[in-house]
Amino acid sequence: MRGWDEGKEDRKESLRRISEALSQSRSDFSRSWKIYRRSLLAVMGLLMVMAVGTISFFADEIAVEHPYRNLQDDEWQWSIDYEPQREKPFSEECDWHEQSITTNPNSPLFSETVVAESDNHIHETAANGYHKDILTVVRLIALDDNNGYDLNISLISIDPNNSSILILSPELYENTSLPGGKVWLTYEFDNEAMHVSWMPEGYQRCIFGTNHQGQDMFSKVLYGSRVSLQIGITVASLTVIIGTIVGSVSGYFGGRIDEIIMRICDVFFAIPGLILAMAVVSAIPEMTSLTIPIWLGLLFPLLFLAMVFREYLTSTIVGDQIFDRGMGPLMKYRNVLYLIPLVLFCFLLWPDLIDFSDSRNWNLAVSIGVIFTLGVLVLADRKFIEKASFDGAGERLGKTVDWTNPWRYLSLRTVAIFVAAVVLYEFSGGDGGEIVIINDFDRLWKIQAALIVTGWPGYARLIRGQVLYVKEMAFVEAARSVGAPSGRIMFRHILPNAWAPLLVAFTLDIGGTILSASGLSFIGLGAKPGSAEWGILVSESRQWFPDDAYLMLFPGLAIAVTVLGFNLLGDGIRDVVDPKNRR
Amino acid sequence: MKLHEFVVRRLLLLVPVLIGVAILTFTISHLIPADAAAARCGDRCGLTVAWTEDGEPISAYQQNREQMGMNEPVTTQFRIYFEDLAVGDWGESSTYHRPVVDVLRDAAPITLEMTFFALFIAYPLGITLGILSAVRQDRMFDHISRFFAIAFVSLPIFWFAMVLQLLFAIGPVSGVGGVCDPLFSTEGGCFPIFGRHDPSLTYPEDGFVSFYPAGGTGFHLIDSWFVTDQKLATLPVEYGSSWLLFKDTVLHLALPCACLGVASSGSLLRYMRASLLEVLHEDYVRTARAKGISESRVVIVHACRNALIPIVTILGFSIGGALSGAVLTETIFALNGMGRVAVKSIQYIDLPVIMGVTLITAVIFLLSNLVVDIMYAIVDPRVRLE
Repeated sequence: MRGWDEGKEDRKESLRRISEALSQSRSDFSRSWKIYRRSLLAVMGLLMVMAVGTISFFADEIAVEHPYRNLQDDEWQWSIDYEPQREKPFSEECDWHEQSITTNPNSPLFSETVVAESDNHIHETAANGYHKDILTVVRLIALDDNNGYDLNISLISIDPNNSSILILSPELYENTSLPGGKVWLTYEFDNEAMHVSWMPEGYQRCIFGTNHQGQDMFSKVLYGSRVSLQIGITVASLTVIIGTIVGSVSGYFGGRIDEIIMRICDVFFAIPGLILAMAVVSAIPEMTSLTIPIWLGLLFPLLFLAMVFREYLTSTIVGDQIFDRGMGPLMKYRNVLYLIPLVLFCFLLWPDLIDFSDSRNWNLAVSIGVIFTLGVLVLADRKFIEKASFDGAGERLGKTVDWTNPWRYLSLRTVAIFVAAVVLYEFSGGDGGEIVIINDFDRLWKIQAALIVTGWPGYARLIRGQVLYVKEMAFVEAARSVGAPSGRIMFRHILPNAWAPLLVAFTLDIGGTILSASGLSFIGLGAKPGSAEWGILVSESRQWFPDDAYLMLFPGLAIAVTVLGFNLLGDGIRDVVDPKNRR
Repeated sequence: MKLHEFVVRRLLLLVPVLIGVAILTFTISHLIPADAAAARCGDRCGLTVAWTEDGEPISAYQQNREQMGMNEPVTTQFRIYFEDLAVGDWGESSTYHRPVVDVLRDAAPITLEMTFFALFIAYPLGITLGILSAVRQDRMFDHISRFFAIAFVSLPIFWFAMVLQLLFAIGPVSGVGGVCDPLFSTEGGCFPIFGRHDPSLTYPEDGFVSFYPAGGTGFHLIDSWFVTDQKLATLPVEYGSSWLLFKDTVLHLALPCACLGVASSGSLLRYMRASLLEVLHEDYVRTARAKGISESRVVIVHACRNALIPIVTILGFSIGGALSGAVLTETIFALNGMGRVAVKSIQYIDLPVIMGVTLITAVIFLLSNLVVDIMYAIVDPRVRLE
């Protein structure tokens, strides 16, 4: 039986080939791009996705209005701005404002000159959270009394020195017969906020109209792209990760595990997607934040690290089978043996250590200490077994770190260690008792969780099929014959050769997720009413549907364009990575 | 393997999946943060309704919990739930105040009618366009139809439904109840905006009860042909015959079905195109061409028949997609099908209905997949050999 370190010459040879392949990969990319850009539709899709991405990134710069964080109930809210409600796109009325003016001289609010100002809108820096803008009046349009009857417009005039100040004529406030002691003045104001630098002069009014709260639809649709992209990418990535792990385990190990996993997938496939997602959304409890106990949160990265160490040592020192033969049942269940001290440690020791001090550095030091201790634990264990069974194992241990192979630094386990370290660092800064996974677990997170729960079986099946296909190939056989461990075969040999359909499915899935999420929002299970989410915008517009159809037109169009972009992109990628389908 | 063996084997394979679905719905119902016992007694939960043997008061809430078996261990609860499912006792809805089975029996035909009618439109359309697209590969027609196929799959169904209403039912300028002036109107006027049948086919004095009797199949496309002459005589003249009733149903189905079917036809077009292109490279097609058979005969007789075989399997996915889409379509077109029942039950956290709807859609979906598999085994006997 040959160990991994015994084929130095072979490895150098393979290293040379790999670096050759690496230099070729550049031309591979340009060749792929050449195939990709042959299809007009694919290029269109790429452009659409890039456009949506750019828009969502620069939404702050492009948008006219901006949402503000309302500190009271911890959600994004839109400033109720001074555009009149439900105005059609490009309508002149977008720059009009109606203001009530007190005409009763006995009222404490009365004054002969009135400042033209907007209605209250949320403003994060204002003392009470609300704010009024002073408006510059361009011309007066109409004057109504409190019952809606027209009055003579000349009763009010603009101050020639300061166009923000309106002067009431004595005729108006000496007239005691006015109902309610106030009048309503409609005037056109110089709408600074609506002047968007990138729009030509004269087209600077509300581009997609305003909704029933006077909010600029254009801005809401722009910010909606952020929500949709975030949901699409988060859900698709997480489902890919979960599905890949489950599917590769299922495909690689086969047997009973495979049977169980596939039956679970069958159950999930048996219920149509949206209906299952709806049921799952309703099953997720209402909560403001998602927290888990700190030991639970650290258990997984630590366990993963321990596995990585173990796997690393196993793969570098000598093949698995020798140990199995030597130590028998003890070796067979050694993974479980690792668990016992780990769990004990997490339950008993770790919370005390964390509670010792609130300082972040202390927590960090503890985290690093834990990793180090675990490493030593694993190493010592291994060393002990080796000493007990074999001669000359100490020498081999020295060779575990293979500095000559640069691929090691890029390998999965290096990344895993890095991720685990970051996770530990981030989490160790908490207040000790709990780890906050999601800070504000709003309803958007609920639909994301539901879509992940319903989405993973698709990927699991896809990856399983790929793994079953690749598993039978000669190079996997070769890797297995030299004693490479399962994890290594899976991550280094099988998965890199099974990624192509995964990438296609991932791209298409982003679009599908955006569709499902907006559908869930539409039926009232997703985003909160009033938020800038496309499904909610369409659903809110139903109240004014046939009359103000523009309200539903643009958000829906935005969904369609985004999803179309991702679908075209996925199709284009399929043409490149799967030559069988290309015609 | 004989066909009947195949069918029996497939049926047996359904059983573990159905049990799994039952476990899943049971889990979901236990996770839902709602108390069915509290929902049952409402604001009378605190009232004392009985006394224990020791004289301790039992509140209505406690009694409900006892009666509903909520104090039992989870495994026992699941066993009871499963037994109830098997004998058709699916619980009682707290929003409809009727047994769940009755609610679903009323709702299912609406969704099924819509789904099947939608696929009835989508299949010929998608397959025809797919064939044309494959025959004219890489020409303008191909590019355009492929673009529209992807575009149709990408449309948000709820938005597309509203656009269809705007174009075909309401018109871009008029409001509800205004002059109907849509861009594209049918000969007899507009398509109806929503509903299953004309409002004049209800009895307003009985709270707008439908004209269609409850004893029928529930599918108006079928029921309309079995209306007795006496009943027809009570209707206004424009609905005075079975044909006119049928036409009314079709007109009402047209927009929701177009909406549901458009996504299916888009994906069908793509599959049909890919399948036909693959077949066109086969040897027997070349042989047929070499024999001098006309191109249209080669495509239609030799290639299409083989290319259609894998298309059968798409039917299962289409039905699943349509059942999902029905949730959104029914909401917009005000059809009281299973989708709307599902939405309503989730809004009011009506546990038995949520579980019932999930189960029944799963059963429908599984059965239709079974039918698809059997059809596939019939058209392609190789499948049976596995």
